[in-house]
Amino acid sequence: MAGLLEFDGLSRRFGTVTALDDLSFSVPSGQVVGFLGPNGAGKTTTMRAVFGLTDLDAGSVRWNGEPVGATQRRRFGYMPEERGLYPNMLVAEEVEYLARLHGMDTGSAATATKQWLERLDVADRATSKVETLSHGNQQRVQLAAALVHDPEVLVLDEPLAGLDPTGIDAIGEVLVEQARAGRCVLFSSHQLDLVEDLCESVAIIDRGRLVARGAVDELATSGARRLDVRVEGDRQGVWAQGIPGVAVSEVDGGEVRLVLDESTDSDVVLEAARAAGRVTEFVFGRRRLSEVFREAVGRLRRSRSSSPPSRWCCSSASACAAEVGGDRHGSVDSQADFAAEGSWETPDLWLGARSGSGCGAACFE
Amino acid sequence: MAGREIRERLRGRLFRVVTLILFAVVAAAVVIPTIHTGTTTHQNVGVVAGPPALDAELQKLATAVGLRVELVREPDLSAARASLSTGDLDMVVDGGGSILVQNPISDTDTSTGARYVRAVATALGAQQAFAQAGLTPEQAAAVAEVKPWPVESVHPGKTARTTEEATALLGVILTFIVLTQYLTWTLMGVMEEKASRVVEVLLATVRPGQLLAGKVAGIGAVALVQAVALVAFALVLAKVVGSTLVHGAAPIVVAATLVWLVLGYAFYSWVYAAAGSMAERQDQVQSLALPLSAPLIFGYIVSLIGVSSGSASLLVKVLAYLPPTAPFAMPTLVGFGEATWWQFLLSVVVSMVCTVLVARMAARVYRTAVLRTGRRVRLRELVPTLAK
Repeated sequence: MAGLLEFDGLSRRFGTVTALDDLSFSVPSGQVVGFLGPNGAGKTTTMRAVFGLTDLDAGSVRWNGEPVGATQRRRFGYMPEERGLYPNMLVAEEVEYLARLHGMDTGSAATATKQWLERLDVADRATSKVETLSHGNQQRVQLAAALVHDPEVLVLDEPLAGLDPTGIDAIGEVLVEQARAGRCVLFSSHQLDLVEDLCESVAIIDRGRLVARGAVDELATSGARRLDVRVEGDRQGVWAQGIPGVAVSEVDGGEVRLVLDESTDSDVVLEAARAAGRVTEFVFGRRRLSEVFREAVGRLRRSRSSSPPSRWCCSSASACAAEVGGDRHGSVDSQADFAAEGSWETPDLWLGARSGSGCGAACFE
Repeated sequence: MAGREIRERLRGRLFRVVTLILFAVVAAAVVIPTIHTGTTTHQNVGVVAGPPALDAELQKLATAVGLRVELVREPDLSAARASLSTGDLDMVVDGGGSILVQNPISDTDTSTGARYVRAVATALGAQQAFAQAGLTPEQAAAVAEVKPWPVESVHPGKTARTTEEATALLGVILTFIVLTQYLTWTLMGVMEEKASRVVEVLLATVRPGQLLAGKVAGIGAVALVQAVALVAFALVLAKVVGSTLVHGAAPIVVAATLVWLVLGYAFYSWVYAAAGSMAERQDQVQSLALPLSAPLIFGYIVSLIGVSSGSASLLVKVLAYLPPTAPFAMPTLVGFGEATWWQFLLSVVVSMVCTVLVARMAARVYRTAVLRTGRRVRLRELVPTLAK
């Protein structure tokens, strides 16, 4: 059954620090959704809000239109950022115990525990104490504990942190498999290349506000054009500096990534490159997720330091509305309202720019 | 949740070690006093010469002091002496007019064996005197039935410790040990759940109140079972070794002690659990546990002094109605026979009402503090929570 996890206008302040600032977005089932943001952006606070682990000053979390309460949470699976298991308990007993807390009977809990420990390749440690396991294996056990009761919604805070490539593959596979089976999967991570591989879509937040939401493919292909150019004899891209409407975004091993303004003709760039030396590469490229992330976060911060915003754009509001589905900031009307309050939007993402106190304390992230 | 607590506690090595130590302490408390006062229950008594009526007289005296004796007829004094020195006999009564024992008996020896020897010596000596005075056996028997005049004092003070007081003393000590142990476990258990962050996983599924109640009930159940086992062990042991701890109204004192052990744990466990939720390291726990244990120690010391002094002071009588100190003071009053049933019940009701209030506040503190990590949660940070 299709489901929808909605975050509606979440606000939370810790003293003078704003952790969540009217945050709204939604996560449909059947997708792996990456939840991104710099440290202190409010990701953990948002995820904890799903489980009632933090009091909200305003807003609500809903599952299929119903406010999330104790009944719904029994069908949710959670993996907190700081792993939480009884260190002295035996692995299988611990997973079984958590399954029982979610309402499973003894027999089903034991069967499901066995299956998940096997699936996550830790069955041979079933009778070991949790504390004797390596970090990676403890992480697998933690994931087993989040999955054992066959939850409809999976909320995982940094599930891939500190894992080796095998562990990442194993856990990544499970997340994708869960989404394919119709579960709602939201996970946070700082490993953007992995998120790009695993997720259909992402939500990016900064300072407690949503700064981007959309399908990974759309975010990568929309927006300003990217050009990857390689010119012999100029590995730093000095040749590109000074071309009007062109900015050097990245230099990587002699390959220069340029961001072109809408009005800039790529032929002008090619001529400039040729003038500098032999051109060995000239390709229109996709935006990497890291670029989307930096832009989203960077623009918000710039906009906060220099108000009022300098540029307005509403070209793809409808696409954004479709993607965020049901999110009130996704509607054209509310975006217009938001814009009137002092925000601005790019073709592929919209950016909140209310003045507010900065955060950055690690207490809620 | 309570089930997990019970399983994990029973499995722990610490639990087994502490239980063994507690049983050893109780055994010592029951047995050592009986060794001091002497608890011989059975003696072999050799009889040389003398009429058959002597045997009946010896049996009668034995019953009077609470001793079972087996009478062995010896052919002559030298054979009897030999059996006495080898230990086959404990005492020899020579019909010719003397008594032999293995070792000298001091005047201060109050053991059953010693009392029996004195009783036999006095009774047989008296009978001999009556016979020499020319009294018939009936007259002699009538004279021997001495009924001392009653002695009454104008002040009600006590001169010797009663059985009930001794039981109360043991109960106060047991309550203190068991409460201290299990309350520390509650505190540490909550702290460990917070430190290991497992609490975040648990609270994503269950309500804080449920989690807290599960822990308190689980550890409480283990504590109660252990206390009941200890008391049962003490009672059986006391019966076997003939201790006076189980005589008179002592069973009422035992029951009162158990009731207050449960009430004491119920009252304090919430407070300790709430304190545990404010800490996530051992060193933080110590500064929290110290002020909490102060009323516990105060009640214990005052009651202990009360029991030892042989009378219930006004302070003990007051403390018996305050929930933090009542677990010690009320059983003490019961031991002195100075608590009526309604006073006992009143104190129980006061304690239960306070426990409900304390539990509510503790649940609020727990809910707020247990998810605040990084440093110890200060009490003043919780004031808004408590004021809600």
